[in-house]
Amino acid sequence: MSPVFFYIFAAILIGASLNVVLSRRNPLYNVLSLVIAVFALACLFVLLEAFFVGMILLLVYAGAVLVFFIFVVMCLNLKAEEVQKTQQKHMRWLGTTAGILFAVSFYFACQSFIKATAMGASTIRGTVETIGKVLFTDYVLPFELTSFLLLIAIFGIVSLAQGVLSTGKNEAGL
Amino acid sequence: MITLAHYLFLSGIIFSIGLVGVVTSRNVLKVLLSLELLLAASNLSFVAFSKFNGDYAGQLIVFFVILVAAVEVAIGLAIIVLMYRRLSTIQADELKEMKW
Repeated sequence: MSPVFFYIFAAILIGASLNVVLSRRNPLYNVLSLVIAVFALACLFVLLEAFFVGMILLLVYAGAVLVFFIFVVMCLNLKAEEVQKTQQKHMRWLGTTAGILFAVSFYFACQSFIKATAMGASTIRGTVETIGKVLFTDYVLPFELTSFLLLIAIFGIVSLAQGVLSTGKNEAGL
Repeated sequence: MITLAHYLFLSGIIFSIGLVGVVTSRNVLKVLLSLELLLAASNLSFVAFSKFNGDYAGQLIVFFVILVAAVEVAIGLAIIVLMYRRLSTIQADELKEMKW
């Protein structure tokens, strides 16, 4: 675990996340910033020797979820976000204050926690073999249940899209 | 030497950025993107705890969180597309049908 790599990837992650929230150009730029953030996060996972989860993150997030996002952004053909000055201003200040308050309270919570338990890094390595062994013995029921979740999601999306496809208008009720 | 605290602070920073995004964005698409940031922050702390505790459970939870996040994004984007077809906008302020 090299400190230099941690700081490099942490800086990339923070910068990309700030761009996701703050960029007011075309929504495509927000999505692409999130791709960079996911890459930096996967690098941090590899530094933590969680190789399998890092790869899954890249495959599922950068590969599938964010491509889906980009597809929808291009499909909707959105323009850059117009700034509504009157309505948004106080909300933005409120939100920023809430975020800073959360960060400060999180900092103090972490500090007391770190003092209570000083832990060193263990030697576990999250490879496909080790994760697979645990996944298919202790956690096999939750793993099977996720397949039902995915099935229900497919039903939901098909029923949502069905009205749009058949009549050109949505009849699903939203 | 990078300790657990470094990872937790980084995760807290990312979570705060995502929280600000969820609260302040009017664009529904940006709210979903910020939600992804929140999930990423919690995933990072799960993996860090897993590494420093020597327990694989944290990494398995991240695996399930990624699966559920994929489902959530798929449903969310379907709803956004329907909202755009109905209202021709994806500003959250326009969803006011229950306002009287």
